[in-house]
Amino acid sequence: MKYAAILLLLVTACDGEKAKLPVQSNAPPPVPSGPVGEAVGTLAAAQRLTATQYRNTVRDLFGKEVIVPSALEPDVATDGFDAVGSSTSTVSARGVEQYEAAAFAIGNQVIADPKLLSRVLTCKPAGITDEPCARAFVTTMGRRIFRRPVTAEETTKIAGVMATAATALGTFEKGVPYGIAAMLQSPQFLYRSISRADSGATYGGFALAARISFFLWNSTPDDALLDAAAAGKLASYEGVKPEVDRLLADPRARDGLRNFVREWLRLGQLDRLEKDAKLFTTYSVELGPMAREETLRLFEDFVFDREADIRDVLTTRHTFVTPKLASMYQLPAPTATGFAPVDLPEDSPRRGLLGHIALLALYSHPTSSSATLRGKFVREKLLCVQIPNPPVNVNTALPEPTPDAKTLRQRVQIHFADAACAACHKIMDPIGLGLEQFDSIGRFRTKENGATIDASGDLDGAKFNNPTELAEAIRNHRDFPPCLTRKVFQYATGMKPTDADDPTLKSLTDHFVKTGYRLKPLLAAVASSPAFRTMGAAH
Amino acid sequence: MKISRRTILRGMLGGGLVTIGLPLFDALLNDTATAFADGDALPKRFGIFFWGNGVLPELWNPKGTGTTYELSPTLQPLAEMKSKFSLISGMKVPIVNAVPHLSGPIGLLSGAPALATDKEAFARASIDQIIAETIGLDSRFKSLEVGVERGAKSLSYNGAHSNNPPETSPHALFARVFGPEFTMPGDMAKPNPTLALRKSVLDAVTDDAKRLQSTLGSTDKARLDQHLSGIRALELRLKKLQENPPSLAACKVPVEPKLEYPDVDGRSPLSAISRAMVDTLAMAMACDQTRVFSLWFHNGVSNVLFPGATSGHHQLTHDEPSPQPKVAAILLQIMAEVNYMFKAFDAIPEGASTLLDHCGILATSDCSYGRQHLLDEYPLIVGGTANGNLKTGLHYRSPAQENTSKLILTLARAMGLTMDAFGDAEGRTSDSLTAIEV
Repeated sequence: MKYAAILLLLVTACDGEKAKLPVQSNAPPPVPSGPVGEAVGTLAAAQRLTATQYRNTVRDLFGKEVIVPSALEPDVATDGFDAVGSSTSTVSARGVEQYEAAAFAIGNQVIADPKLLSRVLTCKPAGITDEPCARAFVTTMGRRIFRRPVTAEETTKIAGVMATAATALGTFEKGVPYGIAAMLQSPQFLYRSISRADSGATYGGFALAARISFFLWNSTPDDALLDAAAAGKLASYEGVKPEVDRLLADPRARDGLRNFVREWLRLGQLDRLEKDAKLFTTYSVELGPMAREETLRLFEDFVFDREADIRDVLTTRHTFVTPKLASMYQLPAPTATGFAPVDLPEDSPRRGLLGHIALLALYSHPTSSSATLRGKFVREKLLCVQIPNPPVNVNTALPEPTPDAKTLRQRVQIHFADAACAACHKIMDPIGLGLEQFDSIGRFRTKENGATIDASGDLDGAKFNNPTELAEAIRNHRDFPPCLTRKVFQYATGMKPTDADDPTLKSLTDHFVKTGYRLKPLLAAVASSPAFRTMGAAH
Repeated sequence: MKISRRTILRGMLGGGLVTIGLPLFDALLNDTATAFADGDALPKRFGIFFWGNGVLPELWNPKGTGTTYELSPTLQPLAEMKSKFSLISGMKVPIVNAVPHLSGPIGLLSGAPALATDKEAFARASIDQIIAETIGLDSRFKSLEVGVERGAKSLSYNGAHSNNPPETSPHALFARVFGPEFTMPGDMAKPNPTLALRKSVLDAVTDDAKRLQSTLGSTDKARLDQHLSGIRALELRLKKLQENPPSLAACKVPVEPKLEYPDVDGRSPLSAISRAMVDTLAMAMACDQTRVFSLWFHNGVSNVLFPGATSGHHQLTHDEPSPQPKVAAILLQIMAEVNYMFKAFDAIPEGASTLLDHCGILATSDCSYGRQHLLDEYPLIVGGTANGNLKTGLHYRSPAQENTSKLILTLARAMGLTMDAFGDAEGRTSDSLTAIEV
């Protein structure tokens, strides 16, 4: 009985996504003005700065010369996003130690270099203690670090910490790291906090400034954005929009995009790619990060350099390679070192994102490819279909290759023989089988165990014969634009969307379609949307 | 020179108070060598050794019960330590098996179902943290979490969504425990004026946090509470740095681990990393820097390539045809590491017995039969007697799939916790596993 119930649930879960017809693309029209979507508040919680946000913020506050000690409390992904996990996770005792060590390491680097110190300390101290100078330091740096003006009470307290330290250690400057440490360890810095009193209200200027900058830059607001907040300009769409456009024109927006792509596609896991070096002689520890860089550069190119239809990221022949990646793609190296742009030949079977080693190798096993993992990736990350876990107590073994069944396509037929398995596997495996001409590490092949690989299939009604046609089918899938919109919105708000967000998501998707499927207008629309600017209930 | 732990040397600022106690000899052990001379018993320690992807029950469960049982094929690497641990078989994690590789450890370690809103999340604290709240507060670190595989995660939780991530670099663990701030037990702490300054910073941070808290919703407030308890732990550590720790005969600074453990033939040297972690943890306990640890060898679902394996571990557990000799070979490697840990702890004399004898260590996994993610026949090893409170050298076979919470309750009580019951909902029990209690 129980098993039947689970079975029914599974079939429902996976059958709920019916075949969708592809639609044709339009030429990119101009971006319509005005806010997009409803003023339904998105759920609000205090988001802890992710490790990357902490590093980017330190760079922007103190200078790129300042090094953050390597270890910080690791991020936790919830629903696929660190941005969402940061709304629920806590900091461990070890994390608190690491924040302390990092804060002092930063402060000590700042006072060791007169150039760095002069950036943050604009007054000339008159002696070991100089209260006005200490207060001026806290007022200026405190606003940047806390992303809002510091209160008189806070200024007094932190200037007092600095004076005590300066007295004990003998110079005014030696007290500065203690002031920096007091601010960098404060929850006011480490969390983007949400006041319970603000629930349902439009984000106050400073909270919204941080929300926008961490979304678009993955870093702290600059002085200009804080000034706009202080002047009350962020209270309306008309005031927010120019700031959003300014942030998107800044080089830091590339960091923001890179981080979104990294979280969305789970590319962080490429740091510990597990591949059998005996089987794959081209494998080495730097391959994973290198492959990730290829993917991130392609997105940057699409979004910022060419402002192109982002769907084409799935089908483009354009990419960026190092000599190592070029050799794995069987291309002549376009450069002796580092990355260079390259166009894959017209007859290349490799196209776009799903031809990248990053995705092919990540969604594979250490020694073999996986049609299921690759198909699951496409369904969950590109088409937003949530695939449930396989039921426990089910034998998930694939048969070993035999002379009669040499290919993975033949071996996964077992997934379709049982209705319970087939419900989900039939929407995952056929996609992955379309990518079977790429092995576990992403190299092209036409044969597996001596048998020719058949890479044909059907994606929700769109037939394909090879990975190039599969890429076209995903590019044209009607669920891809709403899915990408949803992912951007979820990343931006740090919360899993609820039914209440559906109208906003629909409006944003319409906007995305109308603006030619370009990501920059979508990022701008989300950042200036009423939903993003309005707080839901504090949790 | 042996100095009492109560002798405090304070290095305060600006020529402030400096108290130097007379060197006393009361930190030596008493006549029977079971306790410190000042009456404190040698401390109990608790540990967890966790590996992912389960076992092969047919090769795991031994023949016979009681003290005359025969070790099973998988347990052979532990043969030399057979008298120092007990094997518990036939118990079951009684919660709904909703998420493969996670429902097991959630039910085992917290005794409770997952969060209703997130079946992958612990709803309550894990047992190591419950125990640390009682026995871990007097040592420099309330608990230490370490991981062996790259990207190892811990399942040590302070409560919902409140994880204690593991240290995965042996050298970083060493630096944290035995770095410049370490004072050899019996030595005098070096006066350090910056400690008081660091404390003043933490005071300011705490004030800040408390002011912020009054404006937060209840969930965020609880999250900030957790952060504040981390700050308090750090303050306590600063305070301890100004104290002179009592002499501990077994304490030595361990060999400094290598900075990096590069891949060997393209594979992470799991055994070398695990042993460096264990050696450092052993001395962290012998030097009373911590009394609670957990070692997360590799994650559930981990596809890490073990030496000699032809595929990732998780993939093999599902795809290798029965009787899965390649999976069996991996399990032998893991058991060799459990054995190394028991041996390393047992090699450290403490009073009349050894460090291991003052430990209660649970070695376990995320399910029983990995291929099917089963939660009955759960693999459970308990090493050490917890100062004579646990029986070792025996195999207890549960006759009726008893709740694993019974064992956890036994371990908690052996550690000195006063607990009427452990767990929640279907995981809850007020009965302990008397078969292994002394």
